[in-house]
Amino acid sequence: MRDRKRFLRIARAAPACVLLAGCEGVQSTLAPTGPQAQHVAQLFWVMVAGSGAIVLVVALLTAIALFAPPRRRAFLAGDTVVLAGGLVFPVVTLSALLAYGLVMVGAGPGKMAASPVRIEVAGERWWWRVVYRDDAGSAVESANELRIPLGRAVEIELTSDNVIHSFWAPKLAGKLDMIPGRKTALTLSAEKAGVSRGQCAEYCGGAHALMAFDVVAMPQNEYDEWRLREFQPAREPTTQETREGKALFLSHGCGACHTIRGTPAAGRLGPDLTHVGGRISIGAAILATNEASIARWITHNQDIKPGNLMPAFDIFSGSELLALSRYLASLR
Amino acid sequence: MAFVGKSLLAGVGVALVLALAVLFFAWSGLYNVAASQPHWALTRWFLDFGLRRSVETHSASITPPTLEDKNLVILGAGHFDGGCAPCHGAPGGHNDPIVDRMLPAPPELNRAASNWSTEQLFWIVKHGLKFTGMPAWVAQQRDDEVWAVVAFLRALPQMSASQYRLFAIGDPDARPNDGAEIARNGMTMEALTRCVRCHRGDAQPKSALVPRLAGQSQAYVERALRDFASGSRPSGIMEPIAVALDAAAITALSEYYARAADPAPSATPIAPNADQIARGKEIATKGVAESGVPPCLVCHGDTRAPSFPKLDGQYAPYIVGQIEIWKRGLRKKSGYGAIMGTIASRLTDAQARDVAAYFASVAAPTAERPERPIPPPRRGGPRAR
Repeated sequence: MRDRKRFLRIARAAPACVLLAGCEGVQSTLAPTGPQAQHVAQLFWVMVAGSGAIVLVVALLTAIALFAPPRRRAFLAGDTVVLAGGLVFPVVTLSALLAYGLVMVGAGPGKMAASPVRIEVAGERWWWRVVYRDDAGSAVESANELRIPLGRAVEIELTSDNVIHSFWAPKLAGKLDMIPGRKTALTLSAEKAGVSRGQCAEYCGGAHALMAFDVVAMPQNEYDEWRLREFQPAREPTTQETREGKALFLSHGCGACHTIRGTPAAGRLGPDLTHVGGRISIGAAILATNEASIARWITHNQDIKPGNLMPAFDIFSGSELLALSRYLASLR
Repeated sequence: MAFVGKSLLAGVGVALVLALAVLFFAWSGLYNVAASQPHWALTRWFLDFGLRRSVETHSASITPPTLEDKNLVILGAGHFDGGCAPCHGAPGGHNDPIVDRMLPAPPELNRAASNWSTEQLFWIVKHGLKFTGMPAWVAQQRDDEVWAVVAFLRALPQMSASQYRLFAIGDPDARPNDGAEIARNGMTMEALTRCVRCHRGDAQPKSALVPRLAGQSQAYVERALRDFASGSRPSGIMEPIAVALDAAAITALSEYYARAADPAPSATPIAPNADQIARGKEIATKGVAESGVPPCLVCHGDTRAPSFPKLDGQYAPYIVGQIEIWKRGLRKKSGYGAIMGTIASRLTDAQARDVAAYFASVAAPTAERPERPIPPPRRGGPRAR
């Protein structure tokens, strides 16, 4: 009982840690790693500087009005000052900032190189369905993790067949809504290798706050290797235990909602698990991927992510649960 | 003013004296609580009057469902024979002299149905009656089961003894005919734990509200009995039976049913509707993506784990009833129940009926052939020495 309480406390604290980590940069719009996010950051700083300067000038004028001798402050009542400060200055400044903002916002996608990498992302409740296609048109699915090559333009096609979500990877680009019945597209690119984090930015129901994803930017050669592996079906289990885990997966109904390519499991309601062990996190970037977290997710996912659409499967013996989670963790 | 004050004082004094007298009478122990002494006529009248008024008042807001359903009557008869007849007696039965010495003696129920309205019968069966020995229904959430008993009670006055035995015992002529068997085991036909009363052995149950067990997975039957015994699957009908079974009996029973083949073709009591079956098959094989319903057959088909039940050939009304119970959250206390509870809540009532019609239309399950020989059951439980 105490263990369970402790586990729940940790489970609740985990997302908070991730949020705090956002301040350190993994999900910070102020620490951009790509040109699109740099534009956003630059726009932000220019706006902060501009509005800061205006606040200072207004404060100075207010101080003059209050404290300066009448002779000195008389000029404030003159028609010229009122017209210049009350009409000309705001019109000119705001128009300039607007023009600058429009240029900055529009600057990204148009200038990107041709033949971008294409990734499709569909907003689900409450996770991200990620589809990669090869040139021959065959597609593989992943979930809650985007892998992108460094320095290339990546065009992300955003859809939703349920409610409105919003795709936001703050270190790479601005937000873009995913609207049912429509396709929207976002182009981004990464200049620094590493993992950053994204989050659904439009309230989409119960577990919205726990709908996040990882973006892994990797050098082109590593990306190519990864992509080759990703297009392969799931690796066959090699130990007695993982073989048992696979049999449990298939006989206990997991395949009704999850696909593992290369096995009869072909469900589409939940995330594709073909290479789940190779992803950084599970549960839509809620828990780091390992045997223990997979086991906890299977039996206690409703405590970890309340309201998520997977029923808790608290039906396995200890050894069965270990076999099942070892098998899933082995799917790299 | 003085007169009113004095009268009030006198009234209070008299009331106080009366109360003390009553208290003194109780304290003295002169009142005889013996069941061997009948009530005075006045006491009797007063208790009957109070009981009837209480039942009438408390049952005033109940609306009964349709009870003109033979399935309900047969299910109710099966429970009545094990749960009610020991005190209330049954058509063609005898009066138990021990029960006759209860005060009040439990009434014969073929008259009770005409004494009480349908709503009042429901209220009495569900809540029981204080100071009479009438217990409340074991699973208070299961109004559906209580209504089955009420449907039976309404049908009881027109029921012959042989028809009653057919409904309640499954066979009008069943009786142990061997003196040695009776001497050793007693009149086992009346045992509460006789499953065949409702489920039959290797044939279809008579009521479409009762699950067919012949050919069912052994692990599933075991799990179901344990869930009933622990109360995690609430049922006023099955809980008392499951509690009476020890671990060895549960294993032996589930082995028996797993291997019992059903020779009878699956006959659905409702007219099968081809469109409905086709819609149900679509859900069973593909699920309903929009509402997050996974395909039923991944868990209930041929590749399922033994702890998941077979649904092939089950009666549609039984399946619909269970989905309804899941939707009401009554079966979600166990690990397995939590899974199905989530899925059932995503099915509309129409989809539940479609899927039930499909499973009812599938050929009956064949007997389970265990791969390894099952060890012979231990002779006698810990109680048999």
